[in-house]
Amino acid sequence: MSELLLAAAQPTINWHTVMFYVTAIFACGFAVVVTTTNNIVRMAFALIVSLAATSGLLFLAGAYFVGAMQLMIYVGGTVVLLIFGVMLTAQKAFITMRTRASDWILGLLVGGALFSILLQLAFLIPQWQSSDYQAAADAELAAYVEKLKADKADGKVITQEQRDELERLEIAADDGMPQRSGEIGLALVGVRADKAQRPDEPGLAGYLLPFEIVSIHLLVVLVGAAYLARARRHSHAGASQ
Amino acid sequence: MQTLLPYLPSLLAIAVLLPLGSFCAILLGAQWLGAKGKFAGTLATTAVLASTVLSFFSAGIWFTAHPAGAVDHAAHEVPPVITGHGYTLATLAGTNVGINYYIDALTIVMFCLVTFIATCIHFYSTSYMHDELDDVVDQEALLEDGESLHRPGRYARFFQSLSLFCFSMLGLVLSGNYLMTFVFWELVGLCSWFLIGFYVERTTASTAANKAFIVNRIGDFGMLVGMMALWGSLGTLNFGDIDQQQGIFSQVRGEENHYALKVPDGMVRLAAGRQIEALALHATEPLTTEQLAAKVNAEMPVWREANLGYGLLIIAGLGIFCGCVGKSAQFPLHVWLPDAMEGPTPVSALVHSATMVAAGVFLVARSYPIFLPEVLLVVACAGCITLLIGASIALVATDIKRVLAYSTISQLGYMMLALGCGGWAAGVMHLVTHACFKSLLFLGSGSVIHAVQTNEMPQMGGLWRKMPWTAGTMLVGCLAIAGIGIPSVFGLPIGLAGYYSKDLILEQVYAFRSENPLWGSFFFAAAAGGACLTAFYMFRMWFLTFWGEPRAAKRFDRAHESPRVMVVPLVLLAILAVCVAWPAFSWFGLPTLSRSIEQARPAGIWADMHGALWHITLPEESKGHTAAVTSPVGLIELGAALAGIALAALFYAWKVLDPEDVSRSFHPLYHTLYRKWYFDEIYQAVFVRGTMALAHCASLLDRLLIDRLVDGLARLGVGLARLSDLWLDRQGIDGLVNWFAEQTYRLGSALRTLQTGSLRQYVMLIVASTVAMFLLISFWTLALTG
Amino acid sequence: MSFLYEPIGLSHYLAVGAFLFVCGIVCMATKRNALGILIGIELVLNGAILNFIGFASPYFRDENLGLDGHLIALFVIVLAAAEAAVALAIALNFYNNHATIDVDRASELKG
Repeated sequence: MSELLLAAAQPTINWHTVMFYVTAIFACGFAVVVTTTNNIVRMAFALIVSLAATSGLLFLAGAYFVGAMQLMIYVGGTVVLLIFGVMLTAQKAFITMRTRASDWILGLLVGGALFSILLQLAFLIPQWQSSDYQAAADAELAAYVEKLKADKADGKVITQEQRDELERLEIAADDGMPQRSGEIGLALVGVRADKAQRPDEPGLAGYLLPFEIVSIHLLVVLVGAAYLARARRHSHAGASQ
Repeated sequence: MQTLLPYLPSLLAIAVLLPLGSFCAILLGAQWLGAKGKFAGTLATTAVLASTVLSFFSAGIWFTAHPAGAVDHAAHEVPPVITGHGYTLATLAGTNVGINYYIDALTIVMFCLVTFIATCIHFYSTSYMHDELDDVVDQEALLEDGESLHRPGRYARFFQSLSLFCFSMLGLVLSGNYLMTFVFWELVGLCSWFLIGFYVERTTASTAANKAFIVNRIGDFGMLVGMMALWGSLGTLNFGDIDQQQGIFSQVRGEENHYALKVPDGMVRLAAGRQIEALALHATEPLTTEQLAAKVNAEMPVWREANLGYGLLIIAGLGIFCGCVGKSAQFPLHVWLPDAMEGPTPVSALVHSATMVAAGVFLVARSYPIFLPEVLLVVACAGCITLLIGASIALVATDIKRVLAYSTISQLGYMMLALGCGGWAAGVMHLVTHACFKSLLFLGSGSVIHAVQTNEMPQMGGLWRKMPWTAGTMLVGCLAIAGIGIPSVFGLPIGLAGYYSKDLILEQVYAFRSENPLWGSFFFAAAAGGACLTAFYMFRMWFLTFWGEPRAAKRFDRAHESPRVMVVPLVLLAILAVCVAWPAFSWFGLPTLSRSIEQARPAGIWADMHGALWHITLPEESKGHTAAVTSPVGLIELGAALAGIALAALFYAWKVLDPEDVSRSFHPLYHTLYRKWYFDEIYQAVFVRGTMALAHCASLLDRLLIDRLVDGLARLGVGLARLSDLWLDRQGIDGLVNWFAEQTYRLGSALRTLQTGSLRQYVMLIVASTVAMFLLISFWTLALTG
Repeated sequence: MSFLYEPIGLSHYLAVGAFLFVCGIVCMATKRNALGILIGIELVLNGAILNFIGFASPYFRDENLGLDGHLIALFVIVLAAAEAAVALAIALNFYNNHATIDVDRASELKG
């Protein structure tokens, strides 16, 4: 505990920051690859990497469950689907289809304009540029430890409640957020565990209905997709007319 | 038992409703009633059997409460009647129209009769209609290509109609006002139509059904007129008094008038409309309603003396009788009944001999208090003519069922004659006994037809060897209808059922003759001659069918006695035909038929009636029961019957006389009889053709005058429309619409170039417009905030 | 390298999200292959997810979206999967009917 306090006092490399930059570079870099390459197979591969890196970013933001879902559904499902599509349509003529330079110039111009606006907006608010979460958590932990030390010096016995509180603060400082998958699961069936204690919002404003809608939607989509993509024997004859 | 008297109406109502329940169940659930609806027969039979039990139970209750004692003509007792009000359908002009009941001994007797015969016939039908369980090949219904018709069986439908008929008939007997009577009257007519047209694919059957229905409509029209006359003048259609409200009977034969017939005040008032108007207008000072009523009441005896309203009562009576003429197949509306024999034989037995056609007689008996002597004379004349016509045609008919049908017409004529001559009990008693032996005869004929598959008597003969039970029971029936009996043994006459009733009728006509020699002689001759003819044609039928040598060997070989379920009803009805009218039951404390009927004699029908317009006197019935009348009449009756039987035996059993020879020598008469007095031809020529000619004239008028007018108007309209089309539509409206269309088309053509179909371009445009929008908004907010 | 000592903020996430978004837009705008456009859509959706998660994270703001942001992100993922399935089916159908995957050739509705 004392080491932790020492570390907080000195300016050290923030590994969270480092990890963020590494994964962000991966994500952005491969997104650029996706954009620039004309080969559809490479595009799909780059997308996988980019999406995986994005899921890393989600982990870093504390959204463990969403990150895991991103990996499983996106990287594991959607992209595989895409790659199937790529393979099914991958004839020589379509693997690389070049676009005209004018399209490129126009696209970059418009995209650059949009990006500049968005970037400007992202850094518009000073409070958003940095986070004091870690510092605050560390400070709170240190203060509590000081208080406990003072109590001990007075000869008081440390109670079980105080031990539990200390443990909670340590976890907050070390691991950040509590795990949320359970709460997400409850919210999807309509119970908001995270809001249950708040008197102004009774805890039953869950997502049961959207969840059901999405389920039905998915089912319909799957049926529709199967219907659309089913093989048709005479399609070429029809198309040739 | 007496404590159950208050429940009597409910019991009878249940007995009425049970067949309705069966009808509904078969109608709605035919496909669940076992294979091919076999259970339908069981259901209908059970329902009507339950009704029978309830009816006899009710009879027990009734006759315990009101024992039918020895007839005392001097006592002049008012008959016990239960009237009541079931349910109000509507209140019209201050009077309730509803479901009422009127229960007296007549109702009870009719209930027992109808339900018992219906039960016998239901049992009989379950076997007789057995063919209808499977698909049927109807040999008599030919398709256009000459093939016989194949159709699915209609077992369930038969019992459905039969149940509905039982319900309607019982309802008719129970009903307590003319409207309800009329409703059930039409319902039995409807059932009759269903059942005559049961083999609807046969042209003869469907035509006969329509004929019966239409001919009955003519009678019902008259009945409606009579009902309106009663309703308009008396303000009620109820028979009896209900809840202090005077019914028709007590208005016509009021207690204060010692139940003697008197034109009711309402009718006098209606007929004296002009006089009342004069009273009101010529008063010196304005009158209040009460004052006017008092003046009218003061004038009432004068008007009544002047026979005001008498015509109205005649119209009412004749109208009601007109309905009965149609329903009971009296001259001149008798033509439908023989054709109605196209229906299945059990139907002929139940509907067209025992019950429905007797409903007319029943209604005359029920309405007896309101019938004036003049009306009754018409009744007697109609009955007399019908009796002769029916009997004469039956002499030459060869179709076994038609013989019975004409016999039915003739016997109904007997009943009407009896009622018309003042013999209320005689007519009703003949109704009951006739129902017993005529249903027996019909069921027997059905059994024969079932065995030999033909209706024609020339193709039968000698059948008694093959079907002894049928032959025996039918012989009983023939003896009963012929009226065989010994005039006096131990002080009591003894004989078959028909003897008692026919004897009563003849006695009454004899008594009538002594009062009115002219009419009476004719009536008595007709009645006595009719008795002879009855015996002749019945035994002609019996000899032709069962006696002698078989005339069609093939049919004879196939013939066989009917199954037990058909024979048992025959035997039951034969027992009834023998002993239903025996007076000996009173020795055991049971109500005899004549005493039961005597108990129901309406109040006031115990005195002579004198016509006011015509000189006519109806003797009261006990005048026929004096020794001076009974002994000669009994002998005449027996002699006539025996003579008829002997003549038939001469012709058909002993073959002393050759019928062919006789018919040839009396050819014109024979032919007239054979063609049924040309009634159908005359009606066809006069009424059907006449109607057709009238319709043709109307159609000519339509086509030449009205159609031309309409066509001219239409042409005018078309011309106007063309004109407006040319200039208003083409120039004005079309131009406007076309201008809009052109402009829209031009705009669309201009806009279509925007749709390049290039996905990339669309994406680019979206992004560019987003950026532009953002920039615009931010500049704007900047400009606003400064 | 002083920025490595500082904790990152919400802005960084928004920036990365914006970059992915713009990459996706550009990808959609420059590819002729229908599947390429599909891939661009996936990138756009990823940028959106990143934004939602950023706003939902308690690391950056006290008044965060919390669980709602996570759930919306989940729904976006699911809808993206659905959309991918349908779009792919359309693309395959298009390929079957026209024997090509080039969106420039799909111009039946061109005005």
